[in-house]
Amino acid sequence: MSEIAMFTGFILILMGLYGALTHRDIIRMIVGFTIADAGVNIVLVSVGMMAGRTAPILDVIAPADAAAAIIDPVPQALVLTAIVIGLGITALMLAYAYRLFRFRGSLDISEFRDLKW
Amino acid sequence: MVSALYIIVAGLGGAFALGLFREDKKQAAFLATLLILAFMSLVALGWTVALATGAAAPFDIITAGTQPPFAINLRLGLAEAVVLSVVTGTGLFSAVFMRDALIEHGQRAMAVLLVLIMALSGLVMTRDVFNMFVFIELIVIASAGMVLLNDNLNAVAAGFKYLVISQVISILLLIGIIFVYHANGSLNIDDIAATPLGFTGPSLAIFLVLIALLLELKPFPANGWALDIYEAANPGFSAIFSAASGTAALFAADKLFAAAGSDWLILATFVGLFTFVGANVLALSQNNDRRLLGYSSVGQIGLALVVIGQRDILGDSFLYVAGGIVLTHAVAKAGLFYLSNCVPGRNIVDWAALRRMPVLIFAFAVFIAMLIGLPPFPGFYAKWDLAHTLAAADRLPVLGLILVGTLIEAGYMFRWFGYALKRDYAEGIRLLAAPNKGIAIAAALIAGWALGYVWGDLSGNVNLLTAVPILFALAFIPLDFLPAWVKNVFAIAGLCVWFFIRMPVYDPMQMLFAAIMLIGGAVVFLASFAFTDGGKRIGFYAPAMLMYAGLALLVEAQTSFGFFAAWEMLTIGSYFLILRGKLSEPHALSYILFSLGGAFALLFGFALASGGVQPFALDGLAEVSANAAPWVFVLLAIGFMTKTASMGFHIWLPGAHAEAETDVSPMVSGILLKAGLFGLFVLLTHMGHQTLYGIELTRVLVWIGALSAFIGAVLAIFQEDAKRLLAYSSISQMGYAVFGLALMNHLGWLMALMFVINHYVYKSMLFLAVGGVYKRTHTKLMYQMGGLITLMPFTFVSVLVGIIAMSGVPPLSGFGGRWIFYNAILESADRLPLILVFMAGPVGFLYLFRLIHTIFLGQLKDEHRKTKEAPFWLVLPQMIYVVFLIAFAALPGMLLQKVDGYIGTLFNDQPLVWGGWAGREIFSQYGYWNPVAIWIVIVAVFVTVFLILMGLNHNAQKVKQFNIVYSAERPYKPQTTHFAWNFFAPYRKAMGMLEAPVVTTFWTGVTDALSGTAAFGRKLYTGNGQTYAIHVLFFVVATYLIAMGGAS
Repeated sequence: MSEIAMFTGFILILMGLYGALTHRDIIRMIVGFTIADAGVNIVLVSVGMMAGRTAPILDVIAPADAAAAIIDPVPQALVLTAIVIGLGITALMLAYAYRLFRFRGSLDISEFRDLKW
Repeated sequence: MVSALYIIVAGLGGAFALGLFREDKKQAAFLATLLILAFMSLVALGWTVALATGAAAPFDIITAGTQPPFAINLRLGLAEAVVLSVVTGTGLFSAVFMRDALIEHGQRAMAVLLVLIMALSGLVMTRDVFNMFVFIELIVIASAGMVLLNDNLNAVAAGFKYLVISQVISILLLIGIIFVYHANGSLNIDDIAATPLGFTGPSLAIFLVLIALLLELKPFPANGWALDIYEAANPGFSAIFSAASGTAALFAADKLFAAAGSDWLILATFVGLFTFVGANVLALSQNNDRRLLGYSSVGQIGLALVVIGQRDILGDSFLYVAGGIVLTHAVAKAGLFYLSNCVPGRNIVDWAALRRMPVLIFAFAVFIAMLIGLPPFPGFYAKWDLAHTLAAADRLPVLGLILVGTLIEAGYMFRWFGYALKRDYAEGIRLLAAPNKGIAIAAALIAGWALGYVWGDLSGNVNLLTAVPILFALAFIPLDFLPAWVKNVFAIAGLCVWFFIRMPVYDPMQMLFAAIMLIGGAVVFLASFAFTDGGKRIGFYAPAMLMYAGLALLVEAQTSFGFFAAWEMLTIGSYFLILRGKLSEPHALSYILFSLGGAFALLFGFALASGGVQPFALDGLAEVSANAAPWVFVLLAIGFMTKTASMGFHIWLPGAHAEAETDVSPMVSGILLKAGLFGLFVLLTHMGHQTLYGIELTRVLVWIGALSAFIGAVLAIFQEDAKRLLAYSSISQMGYAVFGLALMNHLGWLMALMFVINHYVYKSMLFLAVGGVYKRTHTKLMYQMGGLITLMPFTFVSVLVGIIAMSGVPPLSGFGGRWIFYNAILESADRLPLILVFMAGPVGFLYLFRLIHTIFLGQLKDEHRKTKEAPFWLVLPQMIYVVFLIAFAALPGMLLQKVDGYIGTLFNDQPLVWGGWAGREIFSQYGYWNPVAIWIVIVAVFVTVFLILMGLNHNAQKVKQFNIVYSAERPYKPQTTHFAWNFFAPYRKAMGMLEAPVVTTFWTGVTDALSGTAAFGRKLYTGNGQTYAIHVLFFVVATYLIAMGGAS
């Protein structure tokens, strides 16, 4: 199960990156990165997955048995943080896209090449 | 003491608290921002001092009341505290600097700035990998926010590219982190360090983390996005981006490299070297100041990364070396970005406007010196130690590449400085200066000098900022407001007093050089009175005295460090002096590049010789191990020959000496060149004969000396410019001296010393004489002169005496040099170079004849009819030289006997016998020299002939000057019909091929190849954000393949 999840995650990362790096449209690039982010999050969760164990919620399980009964909670905590950060970055990128559009009336990344060399 | 955690608390809390201010209370909010940043800086500085003095011990801050790895812990050691000081300090002064932009954008911008500084501080302190990721993302968001302070298309586009790359980096980092966690069971850096992941098994995980952190450092060539930020953002933010973010990211990378184990250090070394050299090469073709600074930042951070890669061998000195490089870079780069916002244009040529405020030029010079690693700044000490460690560990290619990269960086930095000092600026141009910018620049300046002092103090070697001559020279900077004549008196007094104080410690050889450099320097300074003109002569005395300070310290240097530091000092001082000439911009540049190249050869040589052991006494050169010794010899000899301008390294000299100011020419010719000879003396005294691949190296020197003597003379005869003629003649004269030294026998050395004295005297005299003529006629071209003998009689006398002395005919002292020379070569087996040197004599006669003939004899030009004698202060030193030359020629024993005895102790022989007729005769195996008798004979012959001519005078027929006309035609180009133009045309036919600029072509080829590479290579940066992301991915894959390939 966790292998499938991890595999899916990596596929999503590659798809996302491919999309972000081949589409010239800035909005599509941002969508691509969002997909890749989702893939990363899936990979993160899948690493913490342990077959046959339960969620790390301690009100059901006695804390004394917890270590053997629950899956590793750390990756899940990391994913939550990563999702929040991903949201922030995506929002910022969209704000940037809006500003870029206001400057040039275009969302084609290849048109913003005034600075080079 | 306030806990360091409050740095983060204050930043974060402050950022939220700013929202409490009313929208229109921007001034108050700005003040609050400054207070918060000042608080953060004070906490950081307080801990730095406490940890540095040992008043506090490094400690961990535990969060959430739980021990790591179950909660995040923050660490504060000395390194953390120092980096925090850099980060918060840069934040504070950049905030001051960006006052207008911050107030315009209001509380939100200020909050973003506080978050940025807070996140950078967090990145420095945290010991948790995932927490590092969080702080990095915070930095990204805050940086992208700060970029928007400049609300224009370029800045927004640059910010977006930055975000794109950051997304890629964060994907790599997150995947790396989760698998490191998977393999290690902990996110704590110290746990990772406990079980190092080498190149096996889970190595890809740690690789991803490391490469993501490397990418944060903008490695070449995956760094197009960063360059755009540097170019487009507000310079105040660029300063943070380079100084604070760069330093913090380096520290973060260092933390993980330390944890990942020494197997991975090679990755840092390779990426660092590639970045340092690559970025600096591409920077060569930059014209935009901020983009150039961006390239330089990228390069410097690469250099710091190389240092991280040497963690394993640097041991205890790691923090000293890394800190020296990182801190100087941070301070200098912040200062340069601040300066860039005072300049109204974006082309590097526009920096000429800085001349409207000389203090900013001073700041510019200081920042460049810091960046290149010149003394007395920390980068200098750090590079010195780094070079020694690398040499000891036999990592010579790393050292070589570092020095090459530094030289290239020096190339574009000093070219830029030359533009600033020499290019024109629009008449009414105004600097965009403001008090708040002044505060920020002043802070960077103070920090730079303070760091220089601290690093000198910490160094195991001398603290250069406590050396009296250097302090004396630096004192002229604040005293620059005094009238020039007062400073001139101080300068002369300083040189004389220092010489007399130090006299007791000199051995005869040092005494001779010190006398020429210090007392000789004082005599040349007499000529400077002619240029005071009631003004201040701003920017002249400090560099001049810095050069003399370097010379004074060079002569008595005991250790390799002292010698090298003095060498760098005199190089810097003389560079600024040469740059003062009207047309000397390109020549000063080639001078500093050759000199720095030579200096780096010295650094390499000394590091190799010492085997990494410091301090290394110069006497130790005699005991260098047999397989290193020849290489040490080659490196040191190359270093010294860049100063003596020997063939192959001479192309800087003619322009530099000819275009320098009148009183500077004798300083840099008569005096400065002797530094190279002194170095060769030291080298040959200690190392003697060395053989490399079966070639006797001193024989190579013999050849180089002979070729320099001959070709220098040939080139001199074809010059039209009198000062260029003298300059080429110096190459020839130095060639004689190198030749004499390389003969490695008593008489050869005596001859070289004779040239040291003579060349100083007559070259200074002739440069002053020609300078006087130039001052009166406003031309240096000889064919535009003529007939000045009656108008400038004193100058004529000094040129006459000068050329008699130089040509080596009796009775003047040049003959003494020749006499010793003939004796020396009779003992030598090298016939062919000997013939070359021999031939150089008559060739020398040709150019000297031309000098006196075309300037003083022949037809007087109409425009020169009212010419007066040169100013008194120019003539006075010349007359002193005339008297000295006559006295020295009659009584050479005064100076030479002691030195001869000293050389005798080196070679254990005494081929000359001083005695005979009243103790004034000198005997050698082949004959004798009686100077007094020669004088009597010459004077008798002269008087006789003079009397005969006087007697025949009644036969002479007076003619008017223009009784020969050009057949009633006025020639189109009058100078082509002037006898003095192309004076030696027949010789040019015969020997013109020697004039072919082979060496110039070679060095031009080198520089062209570099700038061609730069112009082509930078096309890589297409400006497209997607392309940059692809660069990053390629970079990751390529690095991984190379790293794995290297490991297997």
